[in-house]
Amino acid sequence: MRISTDVLFYVQQKRWLLIALALGAILYHFVPAPPGLSAAGYHILIIILMTLIMILKEPIPLPAIALQIIFFQVLIGGSTPNEVGNYFMNDAVFFIMGSLMLAVAIVSQGLDKRLALGIIKLTGNKTWRIVAGFTTISALLASFVGPHMVAAMMLPVALTLLRFTAKEGQSTKRLAAALLFSIAYGAAVGSVGTPSGGGRNVIMMNYWEEFGYGGLSYIQWMKMVYPMVLIKIPLTIWIIMKTFPPEIQELDTAVRHLKLEVARTGKISIRQILAVVLFAGVLFSWITLSETYGLGSIALMGVFLYMTLGLVSWKELSRGVNWGVVLLFGATISLGVQMKNTGGAAWVADLSVQSLEHIMPNLAVLRSVVAVGLSGIMSNLLSSSATVAVIGPVVLNLGGDPITLGLTSVIAAAFSYFTVVAAPACTIIYASGLVKASDFLRAGWRMASMSILALMLVAFLWWPVVH
Amino acid sequence: MKFLLAISSSQYSGPTLKAGAMIARAFKAELNIVYVGPKPQAIHEGSLNLTQQNLSKWNIYHPGLAVLSWAFKELQKLCKDNAELRQTQFNPEHLKYTHNRYRIILPATQGCQVQLTLREGELIKELRAELQLEQYALTIIGGSQGKRRRAHDLIQYLPSSIFVARGMDLQKQYKLLLLVDDSPSTKYSVQFGATIAANEQWEVRTLTVSKNTRFGPGYRGAAEKARTYLEKRNIALEQFFLTGDPVTTFVNFAGTDHLIIMGASQANPLKKLLFGSKPIKTLERSQGPILIVRRADQ
Repeated sequence: MRISTDVLFYVQQKRWLLIALALGAILYHFVPAPPGLSAAGYHILIIILMTLIMILKEPIPLPAIALQIIFFQVLIGGSTPNEVGNYFMNDAVFFIMGSLMLAVAIVSQGLDKRLALGIIKLTGNKTWRIVAGFTTISALLASFVGPHMVAAMMLPVALTLLRFTAKEGQSTKRLAAALLFSIAYGAAVGSVGTPSGGGRNVIMMNYWEEFGYGGLSYIQWMKMVYPMVLIKIPLTIWIIMKTFPPEIQELDTAVRHLKLEVARTGKISIRQILAVVLFAGVLFSWITLSETYGLGSIALMGVFLYMTLGLVSWKELSRGVNWGVVLLFGATISLGVQMKNTGGAAWVADLSVQSLEHIMPNLAVLRSVVAVGLSGIMSNLLSSSATVAVIGPVVLNLGGDPITLGLTSVIAAAFSYFTVVAAPACTIIYASGLVKASDFLRAGWRMASMSILALMLVAFLWWPVVH
Repeated sequence: MKFLLAISSSQYSGPTLKAGAMIARAFKAELNIVYVGPKPQAIHEGSLNLTQQNLSKWNIYHPGLAVLSWAFKELQKLCKDNAELRQTQFNPEHLKYTHNRYRIILPATQGCQVQLTLREGELIKELRAELQLEQYALTIIGGSQGKRRRAHDLIQYLPSSIFVARGMDLQKQYKLLLLVDDSPSTKYSVQFGATIAANEQWEVRTLTVSKNTRFGPGYRGAAEKARTYLEKRNIALEQFFLTGDPVTTFVNFAGTDHLIIMGASQANPLKKLLFGSKPIKTLERSQGPILIVRRADQ
């Protein structure tokens, strides 16, 4: 009785793994490759389908999902072990690894209290100004350092303000939502501003290079995308204030408490100054040297210096970094490259265009719609970086200019406004327990509509001028 | 004896906590209050851990700790006679991570009879993991109506007796409704019910339902044994024998002013998965609290 209950429980817990494997086995053994698609391309698409089910439903740990990608590529994908290995580790994976380690190194310095003081000095006590300050700082910082680091540093500031605002019997739900969404949405808006703003940006740059499309330098990327970030910041503030009008208009007591909290930490230390200087060096190198040395190598050099100067220990890094994510991105990028090499990406791209061209005869618009649609929808289900790793090769095979289509896809993948899982910053604010999943939908549709308009504006009016 | 009490928030778990404290007091059982919160998607887990580490530097803790702190204070109010519990302080920094869950270290646990645990993940999976770590006689949980899957999973996968405190209001005067038939687990459910009735001075009713008008010797014998046992413990009772579909009759008879107590089914787990069982169907359809008693070796 006990054994059969254990077996049933295992089956119930792992049902999505079993469904994915069964589906893969049926497609592999009993369903022939569709016309126009090579056997190798078909097998890679089967692996992608199984992987998507596993990432969505998480029946097994993340690193295990990455490992199955690797061995299935060798087992049924027609790749040699060395091919998979070669594509597995590249500058994009170095960047993801380096930026995760840099986040741990910087967050551990306690610079967030200084940041809090700086923001409050700029904004004063008025709630709308604090929301505006949070959104702007989150967007600007995230555009260079990525949203996860920004959320990790900004969330304590917001929660401290909320803790000292809450009065007995008075609801502060909308105030909490306004402050927390200003961090998450601010970070999402900013994260496309520069290549170093997120793993997805670097993954796309890697695909451009890998597939022989050239690419963009750090400055060129900024020139094309940053104006959109600047347009979206005030609109994001307006949407947040409109969706969650705060119950309290001034946060006098909370701001006073926050200042006291920061004052307790004393003067800025040599370690903190060194940490800031080092990061400024990394940022400067990304802007000026990344074309030659790559973003990943520079990020790793930064981590090396943080460790060498004793600003962070290996123990802190190994504990703070989710190595499963590094493995997963390595594996999905190798899968993406194989999808391109085997013709699987081109087949999916053709299928998407063919099935929609009778509705939308203008091919240029259709390509953009497919890029935005695929990336936007999938990023709200998976996560934006995983979306670009899987969808990137398809988008680049749609035809048209791969640079603008790639950028469109990356930007749309950052429209991660609807769900908790879409972006790390969304997960982080949700975990505070102060916002509900339905709040993401309430504000998300406004953010998505505004973002699509802003993207169209820069794509049609600005990109032809600068690209 | 140890009981496990699952809570989710200070907003909704109050009645469950009170009901759990009442039953634990009746059995003089140790109570482990476990908060099971949502687990972040694995892809963002690292970012969330980094944020939580940073938050702790600002003395801001996991939201689950606030719920546990609330539960602990409520218990202190409920168990006024437990002097040691009242003197014990909750400190969110005193956390110990073992076996994939956090335990709050309470400074004086001897005689305090309360433990606090924080887990993240899917409810049934986490409760099952907790039950497999330590031997618990009973799991207490708040109930949501009409979830067939949840009712099945609770009964099928949690290796303990289950008390679902659905809509429980301790201001109300409940009666105990013992469902009696010829199954071996009836004996244990009668014993369980007798302890609660004796402690809380609740009225007891036994109900035996047959699909036809004939009540065989097995049913009559079980009802007779239940009566003898309860009378031996000086518990007054009324006995009812009704005809009809058992589950419908149980649910209609119980309404919302009875605490139903019944034995767990001994049927094969696969059969229960495919066709359900009386306890599963009763749990699905009942409007009030229900306790399903499982034998220790089941």
